[in-house]
Amino acid sequence: MSGQDPGGLLDRLVDATVIERIVISVASLLFAVVVGGVIVTVSGTVATCREPAFVLADREFCYDPIELYRTLFDGAFGSLINLGLTLQETSILLFTGLSVAVAFRAGLFNIGTQGQMVLGALGSALTIGWVAPSLPGNIAGTLVIVPLAVLVATVVGGLYGALPGVMKAYADAHEVITTIMLNFVAMGVAFYLVRNHVGDMTTDSVQTTPIPEFARLSPTIDGTRFSVLVLLFGLLAAALIYLLYERTVVGYDLRTSGLAPEAADYGGVDAKRNIVGSMSLSGALGGIAGAMYVLMVHYRWETDMPALGFDGIAVSILAGNNPLGVIPAALLFGALKGGSLQIDFALGIPPELVEVLRGFIILFVAMPEFFRMIGNYAGYGTEGGETDG
Amino acid sequence: MADQRTVRRTAGIVAGLLIALVFLLVIVPGALAIGLKLLGIIDASYARSALRLTVPIAFAGMGGIFAEKSGVINIGLEGLLIISAFSAIAVMWFIGGGGTGARMIALFGGVLASLVVTLLFAIICIEFKADQIIAGLAVWLIALGFAPFGSIVIWETVNSDSVGSFDSLAMPLLSDVPYVGDVLFTATPPVFLMLAAVPFSWYLLNRTAFGKHLQASGEDPRTLDTAGVSVRKVRYMGVLLSGLYCGIGGAGLALNAGQFAGGGETITSGRGWIGLTTYLIANYNPVGAFLASFGFAGLDALQLQIQGVPGVELSSTLIEIIPYVAVLVVLAFVGKTRMPESAGEHYESEE
Repeated sequence: MSGQDPGGLLDRLVDATVIERIVISVASLLFAVVVGGVIVTVSGTVATCREPAFVLADREFCYDPIELYRTLFDGAFGSLINLGLTLQETSILLFTGLSVAVAFRAGLFNIGTQGQMVLGALGSALTIGWVAPSLPGNIAGTLVIVPLAVLVATVVGGLYGALPGVMKAYADAHEVITTIMLNFVAMGVAFYLVRNHVGDMTTDSVQTTPIPEFARLSPTIDGTRFSVLVLLFGLLAAALIYLLYERTVVGYDLRTSGLAPEAADYGGVDAKRNIVGSMSLSGALGGIAGAMYVLMVHYRWETDMPALGFDGIAVSILAGNNPLGVIPAALLFGALKGGSLQIDFALGIPPELVEVLRGFIILFVAMPEFFRMIGNYAGYGTEGGETDG
Repeated sequence: MADQRTVRRTAGIVAGLLIALVFLLVIVPGALAIGLKLLGIIDASYARSALRLTVPIAFAGMGGIFAEKSGVINIGLEGLLIISAFSAIAVMWFIGGGGTGARMIALFGGVLASLVVTLLFAIICIEFKADQIIAGLAVWLIALGFAPFGSIVIWETVNSDSVGSFDSLAMPLLSDVPYVGDVLFTATPPVFLMLAAVPFSWYLLNRTAFGKHLQASGEDPRTLDTAGVSVRKVRYMGVLLSGLYCGIGGAGLALNAGQFAGGGETITSGRGWIGLTTYLIANYNPVGAFLASFGFAGLDALQLQIQGVPGVELSSTLIEIIPYVAVLVVLAFVGKTRMPESAGEHYESEE
């Protein structure tokens, strides 16, 4: 049985104090920034550029790491339009981050948010396509179609999240494996459907027809597509989920069923049903993220959606899986995304660097022991040290 | 005994798939005609291309077995394939020149890069007690970002320049054997390495002291420790073997193609994940993992060739997801694929 639980560390992450976790997250961030800086600097000696950023010991360096982070920050917050782009990313990351966090709270690792989001997005885009023609193209139509699109995405994402939940609860199939595989299945099936059956057949690209004007969330900041409504909805969702887990019996049952199924069963709670419940809730949030992408960002479903679902894993892990922690973490990764365009544009540094940073942040957060060792070495030993046992 | 069961299981799965296929051919209108046309595709050149496509999947799958059997789940197989594919092509590009010798050096470069990353992963998991799943995921995500990043730095686009690919070599004598010789013994070096690695892996895992230690390290590390064998060392070996295998797989894939493509999922396009499915389907048997890899690669090759056949409308996308669906079906419905008891857990030695 114990072999089925990938997360001795999951427990430890959940048990660590809030302060400890904030320290670990901030330290991880700093380490990732340093590693990223080193990678960029070294890469700068290989790259070819018209004008080196600086010359050191007769070597030409194309990229300047200090300039990189300054530009990244500037690209994320430097102007109203940049801020809009950052907040647009942040709003969707709130949902994908919460999706991963909700499952994590119950000791379940949902890597499938990406797939749930892809299908949720497709569900909402198709629903709008089918329903829009019979609705008035005014505010009344908006009030009907937007909630409907979100509802459909919630249901689609929720069902697709429930699937690995059922497989985990009733067939003991590891959710890490099943959710990874279901991502590929979702992307493949969505691609097939759109390309061959429900897509926009007038173009060669694999996409649905664009949604009508009245189904789009109007931008709050001119020159961007950021809608403050989505941000507020995301913040509300974070608060509600926080309350659900901290203040209600349902939240408590969801948690214990995943973390300690035997204990839950002993306490008269149907652990299996709650595992499915956690995964459904997680999937539903992924689905909503997909709807937001369609309603606010892209106005249609298109293949190769951005990896917002995988970013959600980073958001949740950096947040220590705390629903409120998801808010600053989503802002951080939103800013990285927002700023990545600028480092390409202004400095010629490949924007993929941001993905490398994302990976290192996750990696460092995953090894709290590393920081404890450093802490002990430097003489700031955290009391007790070992929390696993 | 357990081995026999695995073999029977694998045979059962293959038989099940075949029956399902025949069933489909019979009930779907027009499918029979398509099926017959597809049979026409299957020839020596098809088998050779399927074998080439098996390389990354089988190496990732067999490598993953060693890591997981030792008690460390290496979910970063895909990332290691990407790193070694990129590095091999980068080395090839820097040394220039052609010939099998230069390509072997490039292959070695790819393996070395994969080993370095794997060593870091092992240290992070074993010394720093990181969550193995998250760390493995991080390896994948870092590789997914780093390879296109590096490509742009070196070649100014996410795709590398073309550096030339491995030539097929004919094994003396063996390549003259009718039927088999043309397919199995006239191939590129990575294919030969793979054909050698299959029996080697099985032997190493099941017939050597190291193999026993490896299995004990994943099942019951305490007992192994008590017997005076260092669990740490065994786990390092297991994880590094997965890095070695992925190194050959990724570099082999890229050098068979002669180029690194860094867009989207990169040139590996999920083959590391498919490798993961193969050993779960085969319940940690290297031979089974290889057979499953060959099966999936065969579908992939089929899918590539179908596009040239007139009158056949088969969605390549749907064929591509077959491995993923297959592993889901196996995990949910076919007897339990049993993870090593202590896989994913840290082991604290009592010394």
